[in-house]
Amino acid sequence: MSAIVELTHVVKDYPLGKLTVRALHDVSIAIHAGEFTAIAGPSGSGKTTILNMIGCMDVPSEGTVRIDGTVTNTLGDAALTDLRLNRIGFIFQTFNLINVLDVYQNVEFPLLLQGTLSASDRKKRVEEMVEKVGITKQMRQRPNELSGGQRQRVAIARALVTNPAIVLADEPTANLDSATGNAIIELMRELNARDHVTFIFSTHDPKVMSCATRLIKVADGKVQ
Amino acid sequence: MRILSLMAFRNLVQARRRTLLLGSAIGLVTALLVLLLSLSQGIADNLVKSATTLSAGHVVVAGFYKPSPSQAIPMVTGAAKVEEVIRASTPDLDYIISRGRGWGKFVGPGGAVQSGFAGVTLGNEPRFVGSLALATQDEYKEGGKHEILGDASRLAEPGACILFVNQAKRLEVDVGDSITFVTETNDGRTNTIDLTVVAVARDLGMLSSWSVLGNMESLRKVYRLSDDTTGAFWVYLKDIDDAEAAMTTLRVSLAQAGYQLMDHDPNPFFFKFETVGGEDWTGQKLDVTIWRDEVSFLTRILDVFNVVSVFIASVLLVIIAVGIINTMFNIVRERTREIGTMRAVGIQRGAVLGLFLIEATMLGLFGTSMGALSGSLLALLLDALAIPVPNMAMKAIFLSDTLQFAVNPATLALCVGVLTVCTGLAAVWPAVLAARLRPIVALGYTS
Repeated sequence: MSAIVELTHVVKDYPLGKLTVRALHDVSIAIHAGEFTAIAGPSGSGKTTILNMIGCMDVPSEGTVRIDGTVTNTLGDAALTDLRLNRIGFIFQTFNLINVLDVYQNVEFPLLLQGTLSASDRKKRVEEMVEKVGITKQMRQRPNELSGGQRQRVAIARALVTNPAIVLADEPTANLDSATGNAIIELMRELNARDHVTFIFSTHDPKVMSCATRLIKVADGKVQ
Repeated sequence: MRILSLMAFRNLVQARRRTLLLGSAIGLVTALLVLLLSLSQGIADNLVKSATTLSAGHVVVAGFYKPSPSQAIPMVTGAAKVEEVIRASTPDLDYIISRGRGWGKFVGPGGAVQSGFAGVTLGNEPRFVGSLALATQDEYKEGGKHEILGDASRLAEPGACILFVNQAKRLEVDVGDSITFVTETNDGRTNTIDLTVVAVARDLGMLSSWSVLGNMESLRKVYRLSDDTTGAFWVYLKDIDDAEAAMTTLRVSLAQAGYQLMDHDPNPFFFKFETVGGEDWTGQKLDVTIWRDEVSFLTRILDVFNVVSVFIASVLLVIIAVGIINTMFNIVRERTREIGTMRAVGIQRGAVLGLFLIEATMLGLFGTSMGALSGSLLALLLDALAIPVPNMAMKAIFLSDTLQFAVNPATLALCVGVLTVCTGLAAVWPAVLAARLRPIVALGYTS
């Protein structure tokens, strides 16, 4: 089976004044569809940089990144944006919902950008997704009226509503208390098991790591 | 587009204090512009009214008669035949009047004034009496009564004349008093005629300083003219906007009827004496103009007023635009992480650009609409208050004794449209910077 995510000899350098800082050293990773993968490591180890490469938010200085069969190194901004919209879902540590939109509209937002579904199909899809993550009652509330756990559920619904090939989550439980964090991880696992969504998340929490079916350890920009 | 508009609207509502402040600033500029343009429209309306009452019809067929190459008399001979051609060939004709033209000195107890003498045949001008507003005695005479004396319809009486307030004041005369008109006749002799003031009319701006209305018979008598002569035919159309087209048609028809025509010169007849006097021809040439030509020296004042109004509004708009640019930069800074999130989720750069432009345009539309509404209401209020114009110079510019404002819906729509577009354009630079933000940079931004 071919990998849905493939990083081959990836190097990432960042300029820092006159210096160049190497964030990733010759990283090669292959992740297959349906995996529930944790990228673990201490702060500054390169977890987020790897997620940024996979999420088409950044391109490598050297090496190749292949997402769902597409090499991203040479794509322009519009093509990378299209790839993110159609193939990747994002869950952020700080939820990053759009404050002026309610729950329904936040979840609907990527579908409106895609513009492929009719209004009734869009409604059906959003309502299904909101129900899956358990926030149907909060559908017409704005993010500032929700708890942290509820906000992260909205973020998960938004990430999944387009049926992406991959969902990336950067420290999804870091801003939540442990009970809520566990519930969120449990929800992600459930979606992974039931709908075979590929989850890749970064964490440095051992409890969260233990939930992953595959663990990629990173330290000093290298995969160990 | 719907979601972007909704987000833009809600962002404006969320930052309501900022929206109100910036919207008020935009509204103030709009209100000022609307007020100035309403004043300009008021002046323009007065100009049309006074021009088409005192100086011209919608189209004017006048002419010069030159008994010798160096002498030019503002007169149309064989008037009946000329009138026939005009009646037969003017499209959408309403009515025609003929006015005698003279120039000389009017002498009264208080002094003398140089002025034109407009010869009116009252029987041919059924609307004349209604077009003049008569002044009360206290408007031109110190200690006078607050009542209108005299009657404009008495202009039909032999030797009658109507003065305007400024002339009555300078000559120190009242209704019933006599004045003397002194002029040079067409054969170079000086002649005089005594006239009786039968009414005093309210000033119609600058034009009323230069025009005494008299009986046509008196004019013919003092200049020793035959009955088949007149100064000019004033042609009134059903729609004043057709004046230019009617003038063109009339020029062709008069030329075909065998009349010599002067080249079209968009100036009042009294500007043409020197030119015509210097030309080497004798006999008669007709001069066909429109009302705007006859008051072109005043429309230039109006043009300057409009330019100054737009300049003032433009300067204020530039100041507001700087404010909008600065505010939009702040908004982009505040929402950088949100831009990063939207970019990560899959919004294209063009949509980010659109979001900020929509937001600025909505703000502009809100501000300009409020401004246009308040400016219009203020203009209508000021018009209703009939604020007196303090001195002669300003009266000459405003063509009225009181400040008059006229709100034109098309001008309002233009103000709202142009200023809203300007507001949107002011946001282009910050919006472009927002659209060019890389998602990874925007997401990592900490305010």
